Amino acid sequence: MPRGRAGGAAPAGGSRRRWLGALLLLGGVALVLVSPLIGPVPIPVESSLGILAHGPGPVSSPGACPGIHVSANQCRIWAEIVWQARIPAMLLALAAGAILGLSGATLQGVFRNSLADPYLLGLSTGAAMGAAILFVFDVDVAQAAFALPAFAFLGGLIPGLVIFIVGRVARRSAETLVLTGVALGAVFASLLATFLLYNPIADLQVSFWLLGGMSDATWTHDALLFGVLLAVGGVLSLLGRELNLLQLGEDVAQSVGVPVQRVTLTLVLLTTVATAAAVAFTGVIGFVGLVSPHIVRRVVGPDYRLVVPLAGLVGAGFLLLAWDIAQTALPPIVLPVGIPTSFVGAPFFLYLLLRRRAVPGASV
Amino acid sequence: MTDPGAPGLTVTGLTVRYRTLTALHGISLGVRPGEVLALAGPNGSGKTSFVRAVVGLAPVAEGRVEFGGRALASLSLEERARTIAWMPQEEPVGDNVPLREYVLYGRYPHSPRFAPVREQDRVIADRLLTELGFSDRAHVGIQELSGGERQRVRLGRVLAQETPVLLLDEPTAHLDMGHQLDLLERVRRLAHVEGRAVVAALHDLNLAARYADRVVVLQRGRIVADGLPSTVLSPALLRDVWGVTADLRTDPRTGLPYLIPRLIPADLRPSASPPFRRVHVVGGGGSATPILRALTAEGHRVTLGVVALFDSDAETAAELDVPVVAEIPFAPLGEEARAKNRDLLNEAEVIVVAPFPIGPGNLPVLEDVLDVAGRVPTYLVESPTPSARDFTGGLGASRLAALRPLSRVIANERELLRALAAPTPSTGADAHDADRGRVRPLERLEESR
Repeated sequence: MPRGRAGGAAPAGGSRRRWLGALLLLGGVALVLVSPLIGPVPIPVESSLGILAHGPGPVSSPGACPGIHVSANQCRIWAEIVWQARIPAMLLALAAGAILGLSGATLQGVFRNSLADPYLLGLSTGAAMGAAILFVFDVDVAQAAFALPAFAFLGGLIPGLVIFIVGRVARRSAETLVLTGVALGAVFASLLATFLLYNPIADLQVSFWLLGGMSDATWTHDALLFGVLLAVGGVLSLLGRELNLLQLGEDVAQSVGVPVQRVTLTLVLLTTVATAAAVAFTGVIGFVGLVSPHIVRRVVGPDYRLVVPLAGLVGAGFLLLAWDIAQTALPPIVLPVGIPTSFVGAPFFLYLLLRRRAVPGASV
Repeated sequence: MTDPGAPGLTVTGLTVRYRTLTALHGISLGVRPGEVLALAGPNGSGKTSFVRAVVGLAPVAEGRVEFGGRALASLSLEERARTIAWMPQEEPVGDNVPLREYVLYGRYPHSPRFAPVREQDRVIADRLLTELGFSDRAHVGIQELSGGERQRVRLGRVLAQETPVLLLDEPTAHLDMGHQLDLLERVRRLAHVEGRAVVAALHDLNLAARYADRVVVLQRGRIVADGLPSTVLSPALLRDVWGVTADLRTDPRTGLPYLIPRLIPADLRPSASPPFRRVHVVGGGGSATPILRALTAEGHRVTLGVVALFDSDAETAAELDVPVVAEIPFAPLGEEARAKNRDLLNEAEVIVVAPFPIGPGNLPVLEDVLDVAGRVPTYLVESPTPSARDFTGGLGASRLAALRPLSRVIANERELLRALAAPTPSTGADAHDADRGRVRPLERLEESR
């Protein structure tokens, strides 16, 4: 992004770039392999591996849990944990992380602003407020399994549209957009607090939304979110060329034949939909969308045809790593996953902000 | 595209309106294939609005833009982008995109959507990079280029659209001389050799005269001149449209006109604070030239007292439109000239005596100055070489000595301007009537207290 990277930050040199790419890829694979072995309930590694090898089917004998003497019942419970909690949570982290990464890269491209991110722009908080309304009005959550994404979507749509308008009218100044997002986030947070006054019981459930987590993951949620990811991610990845041209300014993009209005509206709408869906199942998770595209640009350069899909991959890995840390940092407590992402993301955000100031000629 | 007889870009009755501001009032003009049309005009005259309206970015209230007989408004965005390519005045500082990728951006309207880059597009981009001198730098980032090189690559992006019409908005702004010529040389080739219709908004009229086949001058959204550079560019046009006085010369090598702007009108000058005065300058032999230039530049109404015809002071005065009392060279001062000069001395609010060489011919002029110096504030500019000044065997020197106590002695024209800009000009020794008239009421007030 021009402003954030101040026309510079060319991708790392050829060989360094390949190393970095290989490192990221290896790290991702390792994460996926390790994650089913991690959780708040201690299960011996050998048993976890045995359960994985056994497959998702029902466990009838303790033979599925090698390396330790356990009852068939215990083994069955462990298998249940691995296949019905750990793996769905892992998949949810991957899907939500991918959506946030894709959305962050796309928003940064649309607004020509390296500080754009679904969380900072208030999309996530808006979606969380939308979802919280359901709890507050005492709608049966089980029944609301499909109403939840719908409400989260409607909640996320509000900041999405406000940001879209501000971004166009206020000439996309980085400060303006980020501050608008912060202001919207504050408004939604206070609305959320107000709703909770009417239904204090919902407090606990809602606090989950504010920092996010994968604990409630189910295979159904996974299936839904992966569906959204494939549909939205596919379209977003196809519009990389248009995003590249938008970097020359909307006028130039249009003069070259890009239907600018339609493309930007489509992109903002799709990221809003996808973010809202992710938030509906995982709660608000900050900074994944901000950090991932920056990491990708370091490796592959500014081409959005690559940045958008790869930011999805990096986002998936980033969120999964954060989830693993959230589960293991302070056992037996499972931290909200928004805590580790913010620990990494917030200083990174500050670093970006400060670097922008330091570079002469880095127009806003 | 290369057929010179084909109808090119035709604009009919184009009116562009932004809310309440009408930027263009019914502009009609045509650009033929193979023609370079320079769009000139002062800031805010509508050049950019015209270009943007043709590209389809400015709101067209009335009128039509056609190419080859087809209305551009009826074309899809991509068809339009295959017809007209636009190089804006400025582009946001973008990413550090490799040059080849950047030029490939221009292939957008030609290549299928959602498909990987085609080999044929890559070939076109590489050919353009080679033509523009970047064959060995296709993978270099655009941010690593100098401003001039970057502009050339931007031209490459525009050319990749392979359009019969090119619109260039201030393509040479911010470029050094070498890059300006290089870019316009290329642009001219694009029209003359490849047969494209080129419209270039240009601020530099000399570049316009040199590279354009035709110059269209806009003023406040209307066309005020349209034709060959040699017929359109004239001192009168510069005065009327830009408010600039200029000399029109002809380049002996090319026969093309070129302009030397030399004066801006009084209302554009940085400061109009000191009231302009009627200043009569007594000079000769080139001694008054810097004084005349300084005074006219500040907007004073200046006259020049008796100098010989063809004296360099007389020529300067003619150039600056300063009225002159002149006498035949090497002749004694005639009665008529002397009387005219006396009139000017009497009418002046300020008299400046330049360090002119004093001979028998102009000694009487100095005597006439002595007569009025007590009444009119008089500035005596000191000669850098006083001894070489007097050719009258001491008469001149004695007159100067008599003038000294009646005037304020200053070193040069800069000191003169500062003295004139001061709120109350004083003649140093003896304050004169005009000044006293201004000061007296205050003095009385002081005394009465």
